[in-house]
Amino acid sequence: MFEQAISAMASVVVDPYLLGLIFATTILGVIIGVLPGLGATTGAALLLPFTLTMDPVHAIAVLATIYVSATFAGSITAILINTPGTSAAAATTFDGYPLAQKGEAGRALGIAVISSTVGGIFSVIILCFAAPLLARVAYEFRSPEYFALTVFGLSMLASISAGGAVKNLIGGIFGVWLSTIGAERVTGIERFMFGNYELYEGLHFVPIFIGLFAISELLVQSKTVNKIINTVTMKAVKLPTIEDYKKIWKTILRSCGIGTFIGVLPAEGATVASMIGYSEARRWSKNKKEFGKGAIEGIAGAEAANNAATGGAMVPTMVLGIPGSGTTAIILVGLMVHGLRPGVYLFTEQVEKVYQIFGSMFVANVMFMLMGLYAAKLFARVSLVPTQILWPIVFALSVIGAYAFQGQLLDVWLALIFGVIGYFARRHGFSVAPIAVGLILGEMVETNLQHSLKMYDGAWWMILAQPLALMFLVFAFLGLCGPMIYSWITKQKD
Amino acid sequence: MWEVFTLNIMKNIYLVPLILTIFSLSVIAIAFQLDTSPEMIVGESMQARSFPIFLMILKLILIGVMTYQFYKNNPKPVTLEKYHTWGSMLLFLLFYLLTVYTDMFIGIFVVIFLMSILWGERRIWVAFLTATVTPGLVFLLFDYVLKIRFPRGILMNLYYG
Repeated sequence: MFEQAISAMASVVVDPYLLGLIFATTILGVIIGVLPGLGATTGAALLLPFTLTMDPVHAIAVLATIYVSATFAGSITAILINTPGTSAAAATTFDGYPLAQKGEAGRALGIAVISSTVGGIFSVIILCFAAPLLARVAYEFRSPEYFALTVFGLSMLASISAGGAVKNLIGGIFGVWLSTIGAERVTGIERFMFGNYELYEGLHFVPIFIGLFAISELLVQSKTVNKIINTVTMKAVKLPTIEDYKKIWKTILRSCGIGTFIGVLPAEGATVASMIGYSEARRWSKNKKEFGKGAIEGIAGAEAANNAATGGAMVPTMVLGIPGSGTTAIILVGLMVHGLRPGVYLFTEQVEKVYQIFGSMFVANVMFMLMGLYAAKLFARVSLVPTQILWPIVFALSVIGAYAFQGQLLDVWLALIFGVIGYFARRHGFSVAPIAVGLILGEMVETNLQHSLKMYDGAWWMILAQPLALMFLVFAFLGLCGPMIYSWITKQKD
Repeated sequence: MWEVFTLNIMKNIYLVPLILTIFSLSVIAIAFQLDTSPEMIVGESMQARSFPIFLMILKLILIGVMTYQFYKNNPKPVTLEKYHTWGSMLLFLLFYLLTVYTDMFIGIFVVIFLMSILWGERRIWVAFLTATVTPGLVFLLFDYVLKIRFPRGILMNLYYG
């Protein structure tokens, strides 16, 4: 098994086509990450239709590379123009931009590059070991356990960074309801189709995701037209000095652990990881007063954590079919479209492909490090592309991408409709990621609940008699009610 | 209590919960119209309508909690969008009409051009170039590399024959 894994990972390095693809995608990913508004999720949603004709490994390698490189690249604009290219880089602005204003933009970028790379590689290593172990545990899962697990995944939506817990749950339930559109899987009864037989097999994820992430972002960006950006000048990226390494190595290691752990939790992502990584860096630092004024530990803490979350988020995605973030939701769709069924069988029947994907992520981390060190200044200029040129191009890519998936115009209209729905949702403080995750998990929840009820002749309480299922349901309950119970206890104590 | 409530109504704070409630109730009403399956197929499991109804009831409870939060926290009303946003949405509609009645690529060309101008591009030639080059490149990529056939229209009929 171990030898098979090593040889599969090594095969990435000797495949010139795959290497070239990863290289090109890393450039694209960095550009996408640098452009404010166009994050990893939007980028992956736009690129998904382009991967349809590719070999499964190449397709997932492209999406995974976009994920890791765009997550890193958000830090470039966060440091240079105080505008995080991705939400995961928001915490990087706290100290990155102040350090850049002091004339040390190159040093700030150097620390961001090294921390991101260490975080990314650390999480890929964890992914290589944790995913097969978790797959072995998941081998024991039956319908009640899968039902409880998906309920746990949905409960975790409450804590997705944007929007409040209640709003996120409403979004998640809306997403689950969307999954009920079409013919019901057991009985074949048509639900909410209104006579439209193109919806018989349900809503397809690709156009919905393009709408929710890309088109809605276009409408959000229309509000920022004519925004003036102050850029900071920079000569070149500087690698951290030995003094810098002495200061930040503990922070990087801590954030690697935090980021990977947060990433593994269903529905949590790089944004939450970077915020916690930053606050923990501050908590453990001896120079707390420097934070917010250009502390290098702050940059390292946030950047190592957000890239560590990328590998972590791939664990539940590939092993359990439960996405760890908005971008992994798209990667999950990519896996399904290419016939790679996430779950135990992926790790028993298609081990080689799995490790090639892991290997691609490893290579992508190294490639974005090189690009970050030698071309960050060049990439930073991309962020100056005028919005009035960039977003109309995104519109064209979105509609053609939505059409290309199945060759149906209905998918284009769905993308536009869900773009407008996503925009209004975001306008009123709802995040669109819970809708996407709900849509993916919806089928799993309903089907496994149906199977569980059949298994126990309608005695739903028997689900609670299964130890693993009970454990997941308790976790879900604690995830939802824990903060309320904690604040009630604190109030009582006061 | 009523003062805060009335003030919030005046600020349209409860518009979102109201729309969501109407939506949820409509889904429940439609779900009740769905066919039922015979006992021998469903057995002790759920009917097709049960799950959506359960979801909407859960959603209604959450909407109740959200409305209470709005009442307690008195949130700021959402500001109106700039004309760029509404204009972009209208362009989506124009894209639909042009695609259905002329050609998808004519729709893309017109929308890119008008969107660039609407969003503040003053150089007409730049907007024109973007509107021409982008769909052209995307078409070449999808047609030659990815072998996708586009929907027929004025331009595609000329191309496909």
